[in-house]
Amino acid sequence: MPNSPSQDLQHLPQWANRFLEWYCADELLDEIQGDLLEAFYYRKQTLGLTKARWWFIWDVLRFFRPSSFRKRSFNSNSSAMYKNYFLISLRNFRKQKGYSFINLSGLIAGITACLLISLHVIKELSYDKFHPDSDNTYRVVMDMYGGGVLKVKSAPVYPAVAPNLLEEFPEVTMATRILPFGEGVYSVNSEDGVPVRYNEENAVLADDNFFSMFGFTLIDGNIDEVLAQPKQVVLSQTTAQRYFGSDDPIGKSIFWRGTVELVVSGVYSDFPENSHMQFDLIVSLKTWGGNEEWPNNWGWYDFYTFVKVNDNVTQAALDEKLATYLDGKKAESYEKNNTREVLFTQKVSDIHLHSEGLGWDMGENGGADQIYFLSIIAVLVLVIAWVNYVNLATARAIKRAKEVGIRKVVGALRSNLLAQFMVESFLYNLLAVILSVALVIFLVPTINSAMDLTLEVNLLYSAEILAGLALLIFLGTVFSGLYPAIVLTSFHPVQVLKGKLYSRKGGFGFRQLLVIFQFTASIALILGTFLVVKQLSFMRSQELGLNLEQTLVVRAPSSSRGEGDLTNRLKTFKDELGRVAGIDGFTLSNAVPGIENFSISGFRSKHFREDLRDLYRVRVDENFFDQFEIGLVAGRNFNQEMKSDSSAVLLNVHAVQHLGFGSPEEAIGEKVNPDSENPWNIIGVVESYHQASLKQDLDPVIFFFTPESGNYYSLKLSGNDLRATMANVESTWDAIYPDNPFDYFFLDERFDRQYKSDEQFNAVFIGFAGLAIFVACLGLFGLVSFTAEQARKEIGIRKVLGASVNKVVLLLAKDYAKLIFIAMIIAFPLAYWWMTTWLKDFAYQTSIGVGIFIFGALIIAAVAFATVSFKSFRAANGNPANALREE
Amino acid sequence: MFSLYLFYNSCTNMNQSLGNLEETVLLIVAVLPDEAYGFTVSEAYYEHMKSRISISAIHTVLKRLENKGLIKSKMGGATAERGGRRKRIFEITTYGLSTLQELQENREKLWQRMPKLNFSY
Repeated sequence: MPNSPSQDLQHLPQWANRFLEWYCADELLDEIQGDLLEAFYYRKQTLGLTKARWWFIWDVLRFFRPSSFRKRSFNSNSSAMYKNYFLISLRNFRKQKGYSFINLSGLIAGITACLLISLHVIKELSYDKFHPDSDNTYRVVMDMYGGGVLKVKSAPVYPAVAPNLLEEFPEVTMATRILPFGEGVYSVNSEDGVPVRYNEENAVLADDNFFSMFGFTLIDGNIDEVLAQPKQVVLSQTTAQRYFGSDDPIGKSIFWRGTVELVVSGVYSDFPENSHMQFDLIVSLKTWGGNEEWPNNWGWYDFYTFVKVNDNVTQAALDEKLATYLDGKKAESYEKNNTREVLFTQKVSDIHLHSEGLGWDMGENGGADQIYFLSIIAVLVLVIAWVNYVNLATARAIKRAKEVGIRKVVGALRSNLLAQFMVESFLYNLLAVILSVALVIFLVPTINSAMDLTLEVNLLYSAEILAGLALLIFLGTVFSGLYPAIVLTSFHPVQVLKGKLYSRKGGFGFRQLLVIFQFTASIALILGTFLVVKQLSFMRSQELGLNLEQTLVVRAPSSSRGEGDLTNRLKTFKDELGRVAGIDGFTLSNAVPGIENFSISGFRSKHFREDLRDLYRVRVDENFFDQFEIGLVAGRNFNQEMKSDSSAVLLNVHAVQHLGFGSPEEAIGEKVNPDSENPWNIIGVVESYHQASLKQDLDPVIFFFTPESGNYYSLKLSGNDLRATMANVESTWDAIYPDNPFDYFFLDERFDRQYKSDEQFNAVFIGFAGLAIFVACLGLFGLVSFTAEQARKEIGIRKVLGASVNKVVLLLAKDYAKLIFIAMIIAFPLAYWWMTTWLKDFAYQTSIGVGIFIFGALIIAAVAFATVSFKSFRAANGNPANALREE
Repeated sequence: MFSLYLFYNSCTNMNQSLGNLEETVLLIVAVLPDEAYGFTVSEAYYEHMKSRISISAIHTVLKRLENKGLIKSKMGGATAERGGRRKRIFEITTYGLSTLQELQENREKLWQRMPKLNFSY
């Protein structure tokens, strides 16, 4: 024998051994553990270590049975009773499968809905909390006033803000700026000659301390050096992979817009999904020309500015100091233009949810309201489900009355019976929670892909959710268990055992109130759904004032080979396109409908010589209005032949009003900025059209003539063979712009994408409305069963005396019609109030109309009647002899 | 036919009936004087019956036999390969022995009535 036994035993699966020692009663440990160790010892020699270990584990598991367990000291009378309660619950569960199923599915529906919403809410609340010291990190933003009125809230501020705050505010320890102008074509000269080029949209320029400020991880490169020099670029892992594959990107060159050579200085891991910033490339801010002047630049507000402050500084104190800060810097300009600007801060973790109304923001922020609203729905659906349990459990009280009576007779105290029904409610809630979690895990992938959401199942295992689930089980047990328990235990044993229970007329009981509550909620939700659908289709069907159909938009090339190159190539491209079949028109512009237009400036007119009037700037060529079918109201279009048109502008009708002109005709021949050195001549006025979705009002727009450059090339397509046309356009593009990617979209699809969040909202709404109605109907079903059961004798007697089935059904249904009616009366004003609140956010609102209410009422009435009659027909159809015989 | 009835009767007339596995284990305990405990019984079972059953099953059977009064047990010494745990050593009681003998005799009687003709097949 090579080893001594004690050495051999070290190869035991220790966890299994410890497990055995944990569960095994002390007096049995000698024989059981002894035998298993001995078996392990000999098996190791005959079968080998691995097999011996498996045998050992197997044996330990086989011994895991009550006879080997430690005897717990609390195995007293009361625990025996709990065992009995448990057993009785299970028996009841099995005996009444239909009832249990209905009850459980109601709970599961409610809890699942609640969990799904929690997943979404927790994720939304987690935004930007991962930054170290996120409590002391703020974004500086500003309110801009003109003539004493708040004109616009701006997320970016002046480049001078960051350096000046750092210098003048002792509590500010760090400040960093982000300039969102890194977009354009980035290309790499690859060795095999295949051009690697991408249009980057999520590219920015940032100060050198960017990575020290935020909690993003730099994988490669020195945190203090990656953005310290001009012409440095840091890539995300995915981007690096895109440009360089598996090669090491550090030190390689990337060309920005064809001419600017950047050197890769670092790589960072992709930003977490719960970051409001999502950048693919970050270029060092020093790359931007003229940055030396920035500490004194108080005019160009395009810089997102973040500051970090000392621990003991409150946001309120900081805001107070910031509020008047700009007055000291821009007093002269404020006085001259009658404007004012007020800086204030946002906690970095507040940006995602609380940026409503801030212009030019990064990412899609805002939506705190939606989160609160969803949370309310989650609670509502859950409460409906619990109410349902209460309803059904109470309804079944009749059937359990004898059990309760017997228990009381043999000496059960009321507290014992309460405990019994609480145990039952606990089991239901526990089972429902377990099944709901399983359902959520199963559903999340489907929901994510169907609704374009990013719910994360992993969050289910987070401490918050687990604690929430425990709380859910506890609250569910108490809320849903208490009332049925009280009702069930209140029966007088003698009466119950004699078979005497109450009659059908019960007045306005607690259960009736519960049904009214359930249906009020369901009706309100269903009406809400109708309104959301109606509003969406209303917005879709509105005249936009322009034609977006059959329009292919290509992002204009930005990678050039030198001065004038892009203008020359544009000519060639236009000529070539003329030869492609299926293309009806070409126009270029710096903005297309459906994509937010960031260019806005203040202008003056003869009616506003002092105040600046804000107009959106759109640069177009002469084909723009024709191609998009935007009607000319007065004057004329731009004309390439007329040299003077370089100082000409067109206005839309809104801009005409905004600048104070009485009519479009009056504006023709007038000037914009009449007192400046280079005034603009107004040569024409066009109809207003919708630049953005109908959530927003029509904007005042001023059009400039720039026939040679624009951010978007819009191609009007015709004919049937779209695919061939597309292929031709792309090959033409590749021949002329090999250094620029062919990056395109269809304008109508792009415009529609603005409604995505509304559509998600709509889908969520429909889902929950359906759920609420489903659960409410379960509750109704339970209540009808209850009444039908109670009224069996009454029905029997009525039938014997000649009542028809229909009459009996109507008799039963009448009681519920009353409840539904009351629910409607409560729900209608509530829903109306909510509808008007929701519609306020839209510039173009559909009318609420009576139709929605009538339709909603009909649907609810139909569903409720179907539920009631299903049960009551069965009750009414029964043989009256059966009901009357038993006494 | 009659004797089959007798056999059945004699079995059921005992305080408890004895299952197949129980009988085998009882036999093993009887043939392993002073050395019958969980592990050795399971090894002996494997050796004689050519199939394995888990030690926990053996324990259950031994406990049942003990409850029926067919075997009795005492705690024995500890060894190193048992990790210093003591053995519970079983030995057959007189009642157990007589039960085994009775079973065996009943079987014998039956075997003797086996029609000899059958063996010529």
